[in-house]
Amino acid sequence: MRKVTFPHMGYSHIAFKQLIEDMGFEAITPCHPNRYTLDLGVRYSPEHACIPFKILMGNYIEALERGAEIIITSGGVGPCRAGLYGMTHEKILKSLGYDFRIVVFDPPLVNLWDFYWKLRFMVREARLSWRAFIDVIKRAWDKLKLLDEMEIKAINLRPYEVEKGSTTRAFHQCLQIIDRARTRKEMEEARRECHRILEKVPKDRSRRPLKVGLVGEIYCLLEPFINLEVERTLGELGALACRGVFLTGYTQTDVLGKGNHNVRLLAAPYLNQFVGGHGQNSVGETIFYAKKGFDGVIHVAPFGCLPEIVAKGVLPKISRDLDIPILTLTLDEQTGRAGVQTRLEAFVDLLYQKRRAKEVKGFGTLLPGYRCGLCQH
Amino acid sequence: MERGRKLRIGFPRALFYYSYFPFWQGFFNRLGMEVVVSPPTTKGILDDGTREAEAEACIPVKLYHGHVLALKDKVDLLFIPRLVRIDRRSTFCPKFLGLPDMVRASLPDLPPILDLKVDERTSPGEWWPTCRAIGELLGIDSFLRLWSAYREGKQHQKAYEKLLYKGYLPEEALAALRGEEVEVPPRIKENLNLAVLGYPYQVYDGYISWDIIGKLRKMPINLWTMEMVPPSKLYRFCKHLPKQPFWHYSVLVLGAAYYYQQQGVDGVIHVAAFACGPDAMVNKIMEIDLSQGSNPTPFMSLSVDEQTGDAGVATRLEAFVDMLLQRRRKG
Amino acid sequence: MEPCYLGIDVGSVSTNLVIIDQKGEVLRSLYLRTRGQPIEAVKEGLKKLEEDWPAGFSIQGVGTTGSGRYLAGAIVGADVVKNEITAHAVAARLEVPEVQTILEIGGQDSKIIILRQGVVVDFAMNTVCAAGTGSFLDQQAARLGIPIENFGSLALKSQQPVRIAGRCTVFAESDMIHKQQMGHKIEDIIAGLCEALVRNYLNNVAKGKEILPPIVFQGGVAANAGMKAAFEKALNQEIIVPRHFPVMGALGAAWLAREYMQQNGNSTKFKGFRVAAEHFETYSFVCEGCSNLCEIVNIKGGDGKLVARWGGRCGKWEIL
Repeated sequence: MRKVTFPHMGYSHIAFKQLIEDMGFEAITPCHPNRYTLDLGVRYSPEHACIPFKILMGNYIEALERGAEIIITSGGVGPCRAGLYGMTHEKILKSLGYDFRIVVFDPPLVNLWDFYWKLRFMVREARLSWRAFIDVIKRAWDKLKLLDEMEIKAINLRPYEVEKGSTTRAFHQCLQIIDRARTRKEMEEARRECHRILEKVPKDRSRRPLKVGLVGEIYCLLEPFINLEVERTLGELGALACRGVFLTGYTQTDVLGKGNHNVRLLAAPYLNQFVGGHGQNSVGETIFYAKKGFDGVIHVAPFGCLPEIVAKGVLPKISRDLDIPILTLTLDEQTGRAGVQTRLEAFVDLLYQKRRAKEVKGFGTLLPGYRCGLCQH
Repeated sequence: MERGRKLRIGFPRALFYYSYFPFWQGFFNRLGMEVVVSPPTTKGILDDGTREAEAEACIPVKLYHGHVLALKDKVDLLFIPRLVRIDRRSTFCPKFLGLPDMVRASLPDLPPILDLKVDERTSPGEWWPTCRAIGELLGIDSFLRLWSAYREGKQHQKAYEKLLYKGYLPEEALAALRGEEVEVPPRIKENLNLAVLGYPYQVYDGYISWDIIGKLRKMPINLWTMEMVPPSKLYRFCKHLPKQPFWHYSVLVLGAAYYYQQQGVDGVIHVAAFACGPDAMVNKIMEIDLSQGSNPTPFMSLSVDEQTGDAGVATRLEAFVDMLLQRRRKG
Repeated sequence: MEPCYLGIDVGSVSTNLVIIDQKGEVLRSLYLRTRGQPIEAVKEGLKKLEEDWPAGFSIQGVGTTGSGRYLAGAIVGADVVKNEITAHAVAARLEVPEVQTILEIGGQDSKIIILRQGVVVDFAMNTVCAAGTGSFLDQQAARLGIPIENFGSLALKSQQPVRIAGRCTVFAESDMIHKQQMGHKIEDIIAGLCEALVRNYLNNVAKGKEILPPIVFQGGVAANAGMKAAFEKALNQEIIVPRHFPVMGALGAAWLAREYMQQNGNSTKFKGFRVAAEHFETYSFVCEGCSNLCEIVNIKGGDGKLVARWGGRCGKWEIL
């Protein structure tokens, strides 16, 4: 059995593991990134590469040491650097003496032929019929959607939890249940079970959590190890952290399509150009949240990320023009947990004060229990 | 604006200045406008840029902000095009794509900005669509007048590129076009052949590069740069890569590295721009590819910034050239 | 007995304790070195406070802040645990009610806080490196053989400050050595260093912030007259250094404790001065439940009971 590995990104590894195994390969599931992964990645990556590059590098080396023979990864259309990751990782890993094959899937719209050939290679390796392969893909996709659904639910519930950490515990329980479910029937059962578990967490519905929009680069937003659990921290501080970026939604709009049109239109007055990655989305989504009356926006970006630098260049002006506080978290291997925690706490304090000042001015009490619109894709 | 005075267009002496200035000078001059270029970089210009621009941006982009500041009170219009694609093969770095937006968001009280998009994929025809849009904005309805200005620009650019292919460096070629007496040092057979590769806005800005070119000119070497080879040729030399780098200047730099390696130069110096994102990748790819294969080429990466210091740059260049000389003597 | 409130600020370099009365007047303040042992520093501070206790007062509330706020809060029994940005803002407002800008430079971090009408509207902390913070100044003073206390007054003597590259500590140091070798006067180098640090602060931490007066400069580095002068020169504005500048975080925490206790009216969770004599044991282990490999930290009190535990990703270790 060929041993196949893939990048780790948020909780998606649960679905990818199933995909690889159902195809008949042995899945070398990448480790949750931890500080050893990061150390390894930093050692063999260019100094000024961004943190996702370094984490992937560490994950690949760990997987290759465990015997992986094929790496499956995604490409990109540029001009974000992520599109060159595949090639650069390959060159560096081969120069370290590893023997493997890397299959980089670029978005099919870029080069349909290339996409087909790579897919054909994988299907042939797996000795599957195309029909069986499509079924495998469909089930993995369902699982991805299920994962996103539960994550959204956990995010929406966390600010109301009575006991700190109880939602997170329940969510991790859900992840294990989802991991075990394989057939459609099992997945449907898992779905019900997870909803039940999350509903069971004791909640205080009289709270009025702050609404905070999360925007930025996808890998940093999805991977709790890199963003130092910004969502959980915010939730436990009593803020509803909404983000528009989820893997399934992103795949539909940006990988298979031509991007989220509405977000780009919103961004146009400040940044009327696609600059790669999520740069323009960060700008557009910030404006979206400001117009929806959110209390604040947190912008998460890897240090040195090209598209996000452009976004950072215009965000202060948006903050001034639309009167919405924006906190930028720039993440790299030196980002300290304590610093991020302090900044988030201070930001939440700032937002509470701002809301209180607004209410005193006669806007009335803002209603409790509002839910986040953009989260429900 | 009072009648009779020429419209003054501000052109910052940074980023694509070194690549496309002759075209735009020819174009605007023919339309009866004056092109005002910011002065060569000084400490003050760099400080202004560093103060105002996004902290995480690379030095050349910060410098661009400084040059815009140096110009803003002296001109009627600022010319900051949004360079997306100049040919169908590559895109510019995201910071070029968002350049007018970044400048506008961080610098207050600017004169109007001509921020027209140049995108070969959506509006083909190299600079021509941009020229037409400029004509529309400035109220020049005569097609013929625009076309002749465009032709004039192209001629200037062609003459400039011809000089570059002959071995002139950008500043020397620009001086020659202005009609100044320029002496380009002849190539000497005994000299070392050294390729100095990097983005033109980093290599030829004497201030931020600590005058690398001036220092190398004093050494016994023949200087080769990527501007001396036509871009189409450089693109061909990148073809073997599993994936084409996205960024215009990066493809050229990489292509030039492979080209000069094949030509058998004695060494390659990569001048990386400080805090440049694409260079983080390009530098690593270049390092691996030049050191492997049948004829490994000595390679040095030079990342310079405010802190490196004149002495630091000189030391590194001298040491590298000494090493190459020793290698040659041995074998 | 008059009520009083204790504020504790546990930073990476210093640990500060402040006691205030009902009106916010500072009764006692202490400035101690943390030396990498926050628990010991807190205990030492409590011991010293007890020895020199203002007669007729009793502690009615405790607030902790600083990077070690959770640890300190768990040990002494805090009513309020607050981040240092909010605490600093509260303290500055107490000293200078109309304050609009706070410049804070401490031992290992620096921040800027912007207030309008007494409300924090924006803030920033240094993100990438420690250039320009107290530790770096200490280190350079030691290297030049000048007591840190004289650093500021020496800088003020300079007529012609030298230009020093200040973006990064390593480079700043090598640049200073270079300038020394070129024969510049020591006071010009020191003044140049202050200017470089201020420039670096304004270009990075304070980038894009609207700095309006009154401007308050606090944190340990505010003791340095050279830095104050450099800020005044760069901003062309008057800079106010409040009376209790080195302990503003602790002062803010004490005031927050007072507000909290007055609002909620419960009795304080403070465990009393016996904490100073208690032996705390901290130990950590790596949870191997999954490949996250979280490092779980435990703090045990004198009676062998677990006082606090944190560090897990999935939440399973947080139930005591």
